[in-house]
Amino acid sequence: MFLTRLLEPTVTASAHCDLPCGVYDPEQARIEAESCYKIIEKYNASSDEQFKTRAIVIKEERAELAKHHIDVLWSDYFKPEHVQKYPEITELCWKAAKQCSKVKGSLDLGEAKTLLDMIDKIADVWTKAGGPQATRVQKAVAARA
Amino acid sequence: MEPALSAGDWILVSGLSRPPRAGEIVLVRDPREPERLMLKRVAAVAGGACTVLGDSPEESTDSRTFGPVPFANVLGRALFRYAPVGRIGWLW
Repeated sequence: MFLTRLLEPTVTASAHCDLPCGVYDPEQARIEAESCYKIIEKYNASSDEQFKTRAIVIKEERAELAKHHIDVLWSDYFKPEHVQKYPEITELCWKAAKQCSKVKGSLDLGEAKTLLDMIDKIADVWTKAGGPQATRVQKAVAARA
Repeated sequence: MEPALSAGDWILVSGLSRPPRAGEIVLVRDPREPERLMLKRVAAVAGGACTVLGDSPEESTDSRTFGPVPFANVLGRALFRYAPVGRIGWLW
């Protein structure tokens, strides 16, 4: 065990198609979190046991996806200079990822709402850090009109 | 870099004692993101820089994307794979 640790490389290099595409947007996490929110609403409104079971399975999947997207923002998008300027981002991402786990295991609409608010706080930092201009491909004006 | 290198391989890299040559696997800094290190194969050497390509061209991000890499950004040459045990061997 000790020998393995001693021999373990200290530097990691990529040698495959790990392409940093550079597109990052908290909206991706928010859409998954919104799914969780709406699924919980539908779960509570339904009396169909089969539907309720499916709702739980899908909500757990969506919560996991939301966590993944937050993790990607945290580990790939936010750089040391962002953390220096917006030190709160570390805790925001960490707490939001934990909240995803909570939503995954809960049918409380309040927990899902809390997650949405947390993602919005991450989005505020992302916007302040110039995320929309730096990471997204701009839509044509005609497409938005 | 499949099949020469696989994810999780443990590699011994030595600093450059001479300019890299075509065919060798080198450790380079990604010119677009200097903290990212990559292992790529040297395709050509010219004027203090080398063109590096991955072994799986359709999946690789290499000099076709970021151009030739100056020697200053070539940190070393991959010499030897020491793990996993079944794949131990020289890399040239």
